[in-house]
Amino acid sequence: MAELFYIRIIASDKVFYEGKVQAFVGTTMDGEFEFLAHHEEEIVALNVGTFRYKDAEGNWIKAVSGLGVAQYANNRCTILVDTCEKPEDIDRKRAQAALERAREQIRQNRSQAEYYVAQASLARALTRLKETFASSGKGPRL
Amino acid sequence: MSGTREIKNRINSVRDTQKITNAMYLISSTKLRKARKQLEDTEPYFFAMQSTIQRLLRHLPDLDSIYLDEGEDVPEDKKVTAVLVITADKGLAGAYNHNVIRGLDELMKTKRHAKLFVVGEVGRHYFDVHKIPIEETFKYTAQNPSLHRARMITEKLLELYQSREIHELYIQYTSMKNSMESESVGAKLLPLKTGIESVHIPSEVPQEEFIMSPSPEDVVNNVLPNYITGYIYSALVESFCSEQNSRMLAMQSANKSANDILHDLSIQYNRVRQSIITQEITEVSSGAKAIRREN
Repeated sequence: MAELFYIRIIASDKVFYEGKVQAFVGTTMDGEFEFLAHHEEEIVALNVGTFRYKDAEGNWIKAVSGLGVAQYANNRCTILVDTCEKPEDIDRKRAQAALERAREQIRQNRSQAEYYVAQASLARALTRLKETFASSGKGPRL
Repeated sequence: MSGTREIKNRINSVRDTQKITNAMYLISSTKLRKARKQLEDTEPYFFAMQSTIQRLLRHLPDLDSIYLDEGEDVPEDKKVTAVLVITADKGLAGAYNHNVIRGLDELMKTKRHAKLFVVGEVGRHYFDVHKIPIEETFKYTAQNPSLHRARMITEKLLELYQSREIHELYIQYTSMKNSMESESVGAKLLPLKTGIESVHIPSEVPQEEFIMSPSPEDVVNNVLPNYITGYIYSALVESFCSEQNSRMLAMQSANKSANDILHDLSIQYNRVRQSIITQEITEVSSGAKAIRREN
């Protein structure tokens, strides 16, 4: 059995998970990375996307997250993300509405700052939708 | 006769006011419960974020990031300071709003040029009345803080910061010391180097070397805006929580003094009524006596 390490996944409104895991896989700007036990000290910037971890029993658990940071030190890992949800908890109608709102805002394209906000919320909405459809097995309507 | 009617009117008006303060008390106590839950939920993130930032700054190699550098290119007296002030949307919250503004005055003493970004209607009104210029386009409510609103605020402030229209960013909010007490806090958000006091580490403690991936610049540019958003979000939540708390306490004491007034008034009313009755009896009996004497 694989060695375990301690992980804390904290979103801005809740502690998402706290406990021992076998592995953690997250997304950065240039692809995926994986933490296993006794990983060296590292700080990683997380991108909007999905991450998953393998708990002590060996089940993979997947979640959709916003921007954040992962740090690994002394065989403990702390993941800080602004938002974090399990695919089955995502309200598909809300995500769809958010997607349309973000597209609308990008079309209006008022200032650069607003564009970045809209782009970020578009990315969040798209990942959310993709995951809900992936978990239900149906193709997304994007 | 008019004495009793006046007192009766007074009692009724105090009762009516008490109905309002009581309703406000109930409303703010439910809101407080909700806000406190939100505060508890966001606290782990906030503390973890702060320790991450401290660790990051300790291990960061020298790099040029506008979030970190002190802006030495701008002379001290040309620096523009932005202050995000969080007040309530409504008054009747004891000294809550007053304390925020007093704290702000304290902060502004050392700042030459300041731009005020005000959250909450009461603060905007105050600066309007005192002819202190504030950013007019910056309109956010203090009610029901959300992550989305914190993101919008951060984006706006960071845009100004990146275009060097502002050189420093402070936040003036109210923090809950415990369930009864809160205090107004002014904190520096940007630039970061001096914003967070560094922890002194004895030299014999072995220091871990961190790898930053994809690169230190990416980590800083990814984490810091997020940190600011997180900070602003928890400041909004904490201020909202303190606001409801102080409104609840203010309404509780208003209720109590209404009860005291009602108690005093009812005693006064009874006394006046009694004296009127006594007077009437005396008049009747002395009248009767006079008639008896005549016969």
